[in-house]
Amino acid sequence: MPVIRDIPLSLKTREVLRRQGLGGGAKVRPEIKSLIRELLASVKKARLLEPAVAYECYTVSSMNGSQISLEGDKAIHGPLIPAIFPEAKKLAIILCTIGPRLEKQVTDYSKSGETMRGMILDGIGSTAVDMLVPEALRLIASEVSSRDYETSSPVNPGMPGFPLTEQWNLLGLVNADEIGVSLTASGVLVPRKSTSMVIGIGPKMTRWTEAEVCARCSLRETCHYKVTG
Amino acid sequence: MAKDLVNTLADLKEQEAIEIVKDRLSAGDDPFKIMEDARKGMEIVGKRFSESEYFIPDLVYSGEILRVVTELVKPKLTKTTESKKLGKVVFGTVAGDIHDIGKDIVVFMLDVNGFEVHDLGVDIPAQKFVEKIKETGAPIVGLSGFLTLAFDSMKETVEAIKAAGLRDKVKVMIGGGQMSDEIKNYTGADAYGKDAMAGVSLAKKWTGVG
Repeated sequence: MPVIRDIPLSLKTREVLRRQGLGGGAKVRPEIKSLIRELLASVKKARLLEPAVAYECYTVSSMNGSQISLEGDKAIHGPLIPAIFPEAKKLAIILCTIGPRLEKQVTDYSKSGETMRGMILDGIGSTAVDMLVPEALRLIASEVSSRDYETSSPVNPGMPGFPLTEQWNLLGLVNADEIGVSLTASGVLVPRKSTSMVIGIGPKMTRWTEAEVCARCSLRETCHYKVTG
Repeated sequence: MAKDLVNTLADLKEQEAIEIVKDRLSAGDDPFKIMEDARKGMEIVGKRFSESEYFIPDLVYSGEILRVVTELVKPKLTKTTESKKLGKVVFGTVAGDIHDIGKDIVVFMLDVNGFEVHDLGVDIPAQKFVEKIKETGAPIVGLSGFLTLAFDSMKETVEAIKAAGLRDKVKVMIGGGQMSDEIKNYTGADAYGKDAMAGVSLAKKWTGVG
C-alpha cells in the first residue's frame, strides 16, 4: 500500500483568505494580511505541516446500484459511487493528512486567548489539505496514465449517497496507521486536518470543479467558504 | 469624542481606539459611557459583517480590540457595573464531534460581548450539558457541531435537557458547518445561528438586551 510523504505545498494568501470566509465585498485589512504572512512563515519555520498520503488502487470486479465490489472481496458501499463512476475499471482509495502539529498549535493559541491567530492558523491548515488533495490526485493520475487511464474527481464519505460510516471501510483499505490517521468512535478523522476520498480510474472518467460541487451543495447560500467562478 | 470611539472601533482602528479610551479615562470620563460607546461600535461591526463588508477575521479582530478596551476600562468600573454580565451561557461541541475552532470563535465573541460563558469543550455528552446547566443556572445553551453526525447528538442533548425538566428554563441555539433552520427543527433547538455574530445577537435577544 503506497505512502507518499514530503509533498511540497505552496500555500497562497488568497486561498488562506477564502478559508477565512472572504467573499462578497469584504476588503482585507493590512493587519490580517500581515498576520497571514507571519503565520505562513512560522508554519514553515516550525515545520507544522507534515503532509502525507496513503492510497491504494483496487480493480473493480462488479457493481450494482448500491455498491462497487473490488478485488479481494472488498467493496465500497452506497449508491453514489456506482452512479457516478459506472465506467470505472479501478477505484483508488486515498487518505491525506497534514499531521497533528498544526492543530496542536491552533489549540494552544485558542487556550491562551489568541483567538485570531488560532483561527487563521486553522484556516492555513485547511488550505494545506486543500492543496494536498490535488497533489495526491496528480500523482495517481500520472501513475495510471501509462495505461491510458484517466482519473475522476474525488468523492468523500458524507456526501449524499456515500455514508460517513464508510470511513471505517476506507481506512481499512489503505495504510492509515503508517501516516498516523485514525477515526474517533463517531467516525471523525484524527488528525482533523485529514481527508479521505475515492476516485474512479478508467479510459474515460468524469471530472468536475470545486465550484461545481459548491454550486450544487445544500449549504451554498450560507457557506462562508464556498468556491465560486 | 464619543462618536470617535464608536467609529474608530467600528473601523477596526485598534491603536486609535486604545488612545481614545486612555484619553477619556485620563479626562475622568464615565467608564460606563466608554463601554457603551464600545458596544455601539461593535453593533456597527456586526452590521458590516452581516452586509459582507467585513469577514470573519474582522469580526474576531473587533473582539480583540474590545477585549483590550475592556481591560483598560475595567479597573475604573464600580463593583456594580464590573460584575454586571449580560447572562450565562453554557457552550460546547456535542458528543461525537471534535471540531473546536468555530465554537472557540463564538465563545470568544460571546465573552467579549459581556456574557459569562461556560465552555465545556468538544465531544461533550448530553448529560454534561445538563449538569452544567443545573450547576450554573444558565438560561442559554449553545450546541456546536461541524458534521452531519452532530445532528443526532444535538437532538439527544435537547432531549436530555427536556428529560431533566430544564427545557422551559433554557433557550438552545445550534450552529456549525452543516447546520440550518431545518436541522434546528429536527433537533428541537430554539434557534440556529449562522455565524458568531448571529450567536451573539440571539443571546442578547434572549437576555432582553438586544
